[in-house]
Amino acid sequence: MNLLNKLKPSSREASLGIILLIAIGVTGLINPRFLTGDGTRDLLTSTSVVALLAIGITPVVVMRHIDLSIASTVGLTAWLIADMCAKNPDFTWVQCFIVGPLVGVLVGILNGLLVAGLRLPSLVVTLGTLYIVRGLVYVISNSVDYNAQEMPPSLIEDLGQKVFFGLLPFTFFLVIIFMVVIAYFMKYAKSGRDAYAIGSNPPAADLVGLKVFRRTFLAFVFSGAMAGLAAVFYLMRFAQVDSTAFYGQELAVVAACVIGGVSIFGGTGTAVGAVIGALLVQTIQGGLAALGVDAFWKSAINGLLLIIAIYADRLLAVRSEKRLLQQRIRERI
Amino acid sequence: MAIFPKAIPVRKSWDTAILVFLFAVIVMASITTEGFLTALNISYIFSNTSEITIIAFAMLFMIILGEIDLSVASILALSSSMLGWSYAKGAPIWAAILICLAVGTFCGFVNGFLVTKLGLGSLAVTIGTLALYRGIANGILGENTVNEFPEFWTSFGFDTFGTSFMPKTLPMIIIFGIIFGLLLHRTPFGRRTLAIGQSAEAARFAGINVVRHKMIVFTFTGFMSGVAGMVYTFRFSTAQADNGVGLELLVISAILLGGVSIFGGIGTIWGVVAGVLLAGSVESWLTLREINAQWRTIVTGILLLISVAGPVLVAKNKQRRERKALKN
Repeated sequence: MNLLNKLKPSSREASLGIILLIAIGVTGLINPRFLTGDGTRDLLTSTSVVALLAIGITPVVVMRHIDLSIASTVGLTAWLIADMCAKNPDFTWVQCFIVGPLVGVLVGILNGLLVAGLRLPSLVVTLGTLYIVRGLVYVISNSVDYNAQEMPPSLIEDLGQKVFFGLLPFTFFLVIIFMVVIAYFMKYAKSGRDAYAIGSNPPAADLVGLKVFRRTFLAFVFSGAMAGLAAVFYLMRFAQVDSTAFYGQELAVVAACVIGGVSIFGGTGTAVGAVIGALLVQTIQGGLAALGVDAFWKSAINGLLLIIAIYADRLLAVRSEKRLLQQRIRERI
Repeated sequence: MAIFPKAIPVRKSWDTAILVFLFAVIVMASITTEGFLTALNISYIFSNTSEITIIAFAMLFMIILGEIDLSVASILALSSSMLGWSYAKGAPIWAAILICLAVGTFCGFVNGFLVTKLGLGSLAVTIGTLALYRGIANGILGENTVNEFPEFWTSFGFDTFGTSFMPKTLPMIIIFGIIFGLLLHRTPFGRRTLAIGQSAEAARFAGINVVRHKMIVFTFTGFMSGVAGMVYTFRFSTAQADNGVGLELLVISAILLGGVSIFGGIGTIWGVVAGVLLAGSVESWLTLREINAQWRTIVTGILLLISVAGPVLVAKNKQRRERKALKN
């Protein structure tokens, strides 16, 4: 109970949750199947990859950085895992869950060294690694694809199809665990608080002697590891992979974060918000599909949602700034 | 050489370094690879980099201002799709081209409005409009493509003057280059751009209308993306929604390669031209060596990393040397 109390949502997340419930309700009205066990399971399964990635980049974005290389990392890792399993038929889900994050960590280390070590702008660095990692997939894969037959049944069928209480898929269960752990960690651990301090005012964080290098570096390594794990989720959901797997999806993840209140200007946001943001995007997509909106408009809708979210974020920030200012003036008087 | 602006010394050395590097690549490529220094191949290099160059001229101002526009490739796709769509619907070609340019300009204006009037960050907003504009192009054309255009215009996009090394689009690009070069290095507008990039706050106190200035730069970046959309459409003789995917990254890496600071306030048009040509020559060299096309993605990424890490490392090294000299 104590733990639950400690993780009490902020007003921002509470209002997002309400918006999510409204969106689910409206979609349910249009398409009643959406509210059934099947519909919920579909929603959660299809959200889990993006949600996990959104949790992964939350610390990075809170520190006023960005990691655009995650989608390429998912592609590379997913292909490598499939390749490994195809060549070693006796491998089970265990090896997949070990190798995935390891590959991701390597990309994370590269990003971390360039951003934290050389103090280069993370946007450009991760754009560069986005290219390099995707290029690696192209070169290594040599246009070889893998399907469900080559992957371990214990991963695809047992774990991939596993559902708790007929509602909660195994992958989303893991997402919830990570969400709670990261939210708790970022709120109460010292290094977690440091992330907010660094993101709110990077030069000040430097001056007061926070370990900016170590925190930033580890944030990128964590984001890479989550991307590696997300690749395992990707395989569990789609059971096939080619060199263009998850191409260009980094923007969907960034959109989920921003919509979930993880500000791109750093200093605010939680993992809980990021997951709600991912669910909200998926629900709205589902709702529009139910309304008969063509799938071709999907990307336009994502973009529009992102811009609205940024604008809402800005309005809230301006309002709270004004409130704080007035409070200070009152205190002076 | 008064036309060279007195940039910060570190930058100047990076500009020269990139010119030397470009020269070295051209010499090495010509020696090791037959067919590199032929009129045909040079015309390929020019026409393969034409859209990148056109957008880069405008994006140069954007990055000097300390802003970024990631939506340029999507603007290219949307204006190209509108060109094809309106032409397929029966509009005369000149009207279709006007629509194409107008759409580009309008998209740039929307970006500028969101960034300056609503005060949103350009990085986040243009990630949003990147998805939005390409999404609209997708919604309008779907999986359709338009690939019937008048002979005159496809020849303008694709052919060279006789058998020379000059693609027909090159004179237009050179004129744009001269205009933007003069604008940056020879007019108050250019000086203001550099001033805002160094410190937007100080520029505002000095009486520069920063909001209007940024608005203008965003709008003409949209316009140039529209021009690039037109060139792209005629060069490949196709208008489709996934035209130029990922082009924004090539533009940014070429600009950074040319010694423009990602932190704003520093940059020259010479550097950008050298950066674009360097990227184009390396690409052409790899193609002629029959190096797998897939490697090129990696090379682009590495070039981008070098272009952003290079100047920082040079500056750090210089600082260290100066400190040492001070100690002695």
